[in-house]
Amino acid sequence: MEYLIVSLLNGAIYGLLLFMVSAGLTLIFGMMGVLNFAHASFYMLGAYFAYTLQGAIGFWPAIVVSPILVGLVGVAVERFFLRRVHHHGHAHELLLTFGLSFIVAELIKLFFGNFPVDYRIPASLDFAAFQLGVSSYPFYRVFMGGIAVAMFAVIYLLLTYTRVGIVVRSAIYKPRMAEALGHNVPLVFMGVFGIGAALAGLAGAVAGAFYTTNPNMALELGVMVFVVVVVGGLGSLEGAMLASLLIGLITAFSVGIDRSLADLLALFGAGAWAGEAGGLLTLKLSSLAGTIPFALMLLILLVRPSGLMGEKE
Amino acid sequence: MTNVSNTQKTLLLLGTGALLALPLVLSQSLVNASIQMLIAVLFAASFNLLSGQGGMLSFGHAAYFGIGSFATVHAMNAFGGNGLLPTPLLPLAGGALGLVAGLAAGWFATKRTGVYFAMITLALAELLHSLAPHLKGWFGGEAGLSTMRMPAWGLTFGDSNQVYYLTLFWVLLSLALLYLFTLTPVGRLTLGLRENANRLRFLGYDTHRLGVLVFAVSAMFAGIAGALQALNMEAANYVVFESSASAAVVLNSYIGGVKLFLGPALGAAVMTFFGYAVSDLTRSWLLYQGIVFVLVMMFMPTGLAGLIKSFATHGKAYGLRPLLPIALVFIIGTLLLTGGTVFTVEMLQRFFSQDYRSMAALNGGGWPAIPLFGREWDPVSPLTWLVPAALLAAGIATVRLANGRWLRLKDAAPAAEAVAHAATNVRRNPA
Repeated sequence: MEYLIVSLLNGAIYGLLLFMVSAGLTLIFGMMGVLNFAHASFYMLGAYFAYTLQGAIGFWPAIVVSPILVGLVGVAVERFFLRRVHHHGHAHELLLTFGLSFIVAELIKLFFGNFPVDYRIPASLDFAAFQLGVSSYPFYRVFMGGIAVAMFAVIYLLLTYTRVGIVVRSAIYKPRMAEALGHNVPLVFMGVFGIGAALAGLAGAVAGAFYTTNPNMALELGVMVFVVVVVGGLGSLEGAMLASLLIGLITAFSVGIDRSLADLLALFGAGAWAGEAGGLLTLKLSSLAGTIPFALMLLILLVRPSGLMGEKE
Repeated sequence: MTNVSNTQKTLLLLGTGALLALPLVLSQSLVNASIQMLIAVLFAASFNLLSGQGGMLSFGHAAYFGIGSFATVHAMNAFGGNGLLPTPLLPLAGGALGLVAGLAAGWFATKRTGVYFAMITLALAELLHSLAPHLKGWFGGEAGLSTMRMPAWGLTFGDSNQVYYLTLFWVLLSLALLYLFTLTPVGRLTLGLRENANRLRFLGYDTHRLGVLVFAVSAMFAGIAGALQALNMEAANYVVFESSASAAVVLNSYIGGVKLFLGPALGAAVMTFFGYAVSDLTRSWLLYQGIVFVLVMMFMPTGLAGLIKSFATHGKAYGLRPLLPIALVFIIGTLLLTGGTVFTVEMLQRFFSQDYRSMAALNGGGWPAIPLFGREWDPVSPLTWLVPAALLAAGIATVRLANGRWLRLKDAAPAAEAVAHAATNVRRNPA
């Protein structure tokens, strides 16, 4: 029972973290049709900025300032890189952001070295939120989850109930029409790109302290974020939320299950044969935890190619 | 494209001759580097069939390279260089497994197009990468598998020269086959898939089947490249599935230019050679590679091969006399920019390295001078940083000057430009 609750919480919070990064990616895609390969790099930049700044200005200001800096980087990327190649088409934009993600990772290695840096939770936040049987649950995880939920609420309310939100949604739905009605669509694009980057930066600043901050974190999370947006449906915020939670929970539960396909087959009396056959059959589910999200993605592509909540082809 | 001109034939023969003569003049380590280059060339050419000609951008092509590699290692261990698959024919095993894997993966991936396709290929490669270390029997776990090249057909395959010729034979054969593929009706349809898949569907073609076919053929040649790698290294490790390998082939191909058949091959050869040449000099080679890639994507989307081709076409249209000074100025500007960038990056790399930090701490707080390019540079003096700044500024000014003169030349001779354009268009649509 304890295991169930802890896994449930861990999975949900990891899922919320995935959502913080994939929200920006899916918004940017829905709006401009650009799949931003460098999006997870913004997450990494957020963590490294916060790590650098916290020494000078303390943890809380660093968590506020670093997303703003990352947002500015995002604005610069949109203004000076993406906009210049826009007329070459989406594949070209994807390749450009791919190159940029490469450069960001190498620059991080240049400045901070190719190893994890010592970015940790401040002592004032390092306490147990509550007790579950014998184990205590860290407050910081709850804190990360809270930030993600708050973020989802703010974005959702902004997009649905404010004037800016209406302009942004119209720019997503019919960019040309919105432009004809006198709205500055390129400016809206730049703003959304910057805010998406800042959200990823915030996720990095908060989560970098809990997980490790190293030059590979962008790639590790980035691949998972792509899975999330494909499963959820590109361009859909609700889909991203759903898929993030789903993948977070699946990962958390599969890590703790020490069973293999052979054990399942043993129920039908074929255990000995499966043990001999080896290979995939005897692999423990826990060691496959990293693989399951990809398998889920392939399954979704087979049965519902536009994703759980996606409409756009 | 079908009517290969006489100059092209001569160039082709000369190139092949030069490649055949290489081991006679090169040192052992350079022969090894050439083998790596040839493998990278074939890998890039196979990638280009899918991404350049088919318009299906793959971020996971290393998966099929790796599968070819492991298949060959298993075949080498199974047959011991004789029997059904003697050593020289081993790449067939890599190609066959690559083809099968390509059929399976391609069936999934080509269900979607565009950015979705790119993400599926990425996910498939990551799937394999995360699964491989757990499958000890197939991929040898973290340690990988090793094997031996056995003698066959009276050849020992003991020294690098023999491996070089074996690799050269397979690479040239594969390139020829890939080129012939572009001439077949299916090859022409592949271009159609890139340009307008809807129209193909409208004409009654099954685009999914076509996509799977192109994917599988591309994966087959990637598998052959992987097989050659296994033959060369006599081992295979699951790190071949790493995303950096998939990234390298994307960077190489686009730097070379995907619009031309030999563009990616050129890019792969040049980048692999530079990677080999500077591997002892810098730790930031990947950073330079990334910068070159982004610059190519932003300012010359046709890549190196496109640049050379446009130089040749415009040379015909305007005559070489006005074009050469512009090219010269452009090259000087590029060199200045390279100098400035390299200086900045290397200086930063040394300044932020751990060795330097601990040395500075030992020194009692001051920043000791950094040796670079045979001189000592004071890292906190503004004079030091003025050097790269001046180089970069001069480089940008020179490149802009070249660009301005080029535009003026084009304006002055609009008729010649039309001729050049007509020539490019004819090349593009030979039909």
